[in-house]
Amino acid sequence: MSEHVLALKGLGKDYGARKAVDAIDLDVKRGEIFGLLGPNGAGKTTTISMACGVVAPTRGRAAVDGHDIVDDKFAARRAIGLVPQDLALYDELSPRQNLTFFAQLYGLAGTELASRVDWAIGVAGLADRAGDLVKTFSGGMKRRLNLACGMIHKPTLLVCDEPTVGVDPQSRRHIFDSIKRLRDDGMTVLYTSHYMEEVEELCDRVAIMDAGKIVACGSIAELTTAHGGGGIEVEVGGDDAIVEAAARAAGATRAGSLLHLDPRDTWAPAITAIEGAGATIKRLGARRADLETVFLALTGRGLRDS
Amino acid sequence: MPGILRPTIEKEILLLKRDPRVLVRLIVMPVAFIALFGMAFKGQERRAKELHPVIVFRDLAASRGVAIVEALKGSGMFNVVEAKNAEEVRAKVEKEDFDVGVVIDHDFDPLGGRPAHLVIDKNGPQQKTQPLIGSISAIATRAFVGGPPPPKVVDIVDPTDPAHAQEQASPFQLTVPGNAVLFGFFIALTCALGFAEERRSGTWRRLLAAPVPAWKLLVAKLVPYVALGMIQVGTLFAIGVFAFGMKIQGSVIALAVLTFAVACAATACGLMIASFSSTEKQISSLGSVLILIMGLVGGCMFPRMLMPHVMQQIGLGVPHGWALDGYYTLLVRSGAGFADVMPQIGAVFGFAALFALIGLRRFRFDT
Repeated sequence: MSEHVLALKGLGKDYGARKAVDAIDLDVKRGEIFGLLGPNGAGKTTTISMACGVVAPTRGRAAVDGHDIVDDKFAARRAIGLVPQDLALYDELSPRQNLTFFAQLYGLAGTELASRVDWAIGVAGLADRAGDLVKTFSGGMKRRLNLACGMIHKPTLLVCDEPTVGVDPQSRRHIFDSIKRLRDDGMTVLYTSHYMEEVEELCDRVAIMDAGKIVACGSIAELTTAHGGGGIEVEVGGDDAIVEAAARAAGATRAGSLLHLDPRDTWAPAITAIEGAGATIKRLGARRADLETVFLALTGRGLRDS
Repeated sequence: MPGILRPTIEKEILLLKRDPRVLVRLIVMPVAFIALFGMAFKGQERRAKELHPVIVFRDLAASRGVAIVEALKGSGMFNVVEAKNAEEVRAKVEKEDFDVGVVIDHDFDPLGGRPAHLVIDKNGPQQKTQPLIGSISAIATRAFVGGPPPPKVVDIVDPTDPAHAQEQASPFQLTVPGNAVLFGFFIALTCALGFAEERRSGTWRRLLAAPVPAWKLLVAKLVPYVALGMIQVGTLFAIGVFAFGMKIQGSVIALAVLTFAVACAATACGLMIASFSSTEKQISSLGSVLILIMGLVGGCMFPRMLMPHVMQQIGLGVPHGWALDGYYTLLVRSGAGFADVMPQIGAVFGFAALFALIGLRRFRFDT
C-alpha cells in the first residue's frame, strides 16, 4: 500500500497557449486532510479535474492510490470520490434516488447498495427527507447531499472542491464534522476552499497554488513560520493624525492603532521614529501570523477576477 | 466494469416523467395538431365530394335556354339554384355566395351573336375558375347544339401497377405521419436540453469522474430518448387508428422498424444540436429552427406530393421526406411490406448515422 494516496509528478494542463497548470509535484499522504488553496484562476479546479480523470493532462503523471490516472484510469477513478463545487444533483429526484444512481455507477448493487445509501443519507443528516425531491431543499441540505454523493462508494481519496459555498453555519459545521469523521475512519481528503479558517481548522497540510504553480506546501505551522512574516506589532496612542504620521515615519502598515513592522527592517530605529512622530507606545510584541497572512504574502493583494 | 445502462435509463425515465413539458411537447401538442389538421382536410374532402353550387337565371322568353339549364342539372357536377333575375345572380356571385352564375337573357341567341353570360370572378384562383369556365361552357354548348352523344375522344389511363393499387389517402393518413415525424423530431430538442442540463448542473462532471468509459455514458444517455421517440410515434399512430379511424394497409412490423429509424435519427439529431450549442438558450433557438425547417421541407406540414418538383427533391435532403414516403406507402398501399420501404428505412438510418457522426466529432466530453 502506497504512503501517498495522491501523487502528482510534473502534472500540467494547457488550454491553447495558456498554461492553466504548469508542471506541479504534489503528494497527499494517506489518512490526512490536505488543503489546496489559491486565488481564482490559480489552477486548483483544473488540478482536481485532472486527478479525477475529468480533464486529460497535457503533461506529467498522476496516481491515485497507486493507480495511474491514464494507464489504469478506471481503478484510479474507483479510488477517488468527487464533491464538485457545483451542486451536481438531479433536482427532480429524491436524495435516495440520487445516491442510488451515483452508487450504481461504481458497481454497487443489491443489499450493499441499499445499506450504503442508508449510511450516506445518515451522514448527510437527511433521513427524514430521503424521499422528498431535491428541488425542495435548502442550499445547506443540497450541499450535504452533494458531499454524500461523492463518498457513497467509500473512496480512498475524497476530493472536496469548495464544499461549503453558500451554506448556513449549522450545515457548514455538519459538513466539517462529517469530513473529520471520514478522515478518522481512514479516508484521505483533498479539500479546496477560499475560507482560511476552514482550512486552518480542518487541514493537516496545505499547498498554496498561484498561476498554475505550487508556491508553498507544508503544515500550517510550517507555512506561517516560513511565510507568515512574524515581525513586530506595536500598539500606539495618539490621535488619528499622529498615528498615521507615526506609521509613515516607521514605514509600518497600520490597522487602527496597531502598527506592523516588517521583520526584515531593523526595528529599533522604527520605534524611535514612532516616538519622534508624537505617538506613545502602549504595547509592543511579536506579531502572530495566520494562514491568511501567508496566503496574501504569497499570492499578493491584487484582485483576481478570472 | 459497472453496468450503467439500466440505472441511467431508469434515471432518465424518472426525470422525463417529472417534467410535464415533455409530455405536452411530445404527445399533447401533436395529438391536437393531428385532430385540427384532420378536421380541416376532412372538410375539404367533403366539399370536394359535394356538387358545385351554380346560380342560374333564365328569362322565360329565352326558350332555347331551357336545354342548357336542364343539361347543367343533369350533368351530375352542379347543384343548380335558380335566381329571380340577372341582378340576383350578379349580386350573389359578387357576395361570394356562389363561385359562378349563368344568365340567359330574353334575347338569348348565340347564332345572332347574343350568348348567355357566365358570371364569375375572372381574377379568382385559376385552379377554381378554369375548370368552372371550361365545364359550364362545354355543357352549355353541347346542350345548345343538341344531337346524339359524341364518341369518346379521350380515355383515362392509370399507370399504377394493379398489384400495388392503393386507396385514396384519408385525411388522417396524411396528418398522422406528418405530425408524428414533425413532433417525433422534437425528441432531438429534449435530448439536447438533457445534455445542457447535465453540464449546467455539474452532474456531467460527476459522471465523467465515475469508472465508466465516456462512450458508455453517451450511449446510456441516448438510449432512453430512442425508446421515448418510439413510444411517442407509436402512441400517435395508435391514437390515429383508434381515435380517428386511420387505416394501416401495409405491414405493422415494417412500420415499427421505420419508427425505430426515425427515433434513432431524431436522437442523433439531438446529439448533433448539443454538440453545436453550449447553453439551453442556444439549443432551444437552434434546435427549434432546425426541426421546423426540416419538417417543412420534408413535407410534415404540407404534403410533398403537392409541392413543385424541385421542392419535392429538396425534401429528400432531410430524413423527414424519406420517413413520410415510407409511412404513406405503409398506410395507404394495401399489402405493402418491408421490401417496399427498404430504401426509406435505409435512408433514415443513414441520416441517423450522419447526425451521430457529426455530433460525436464535435461533442466535448470534458467540461
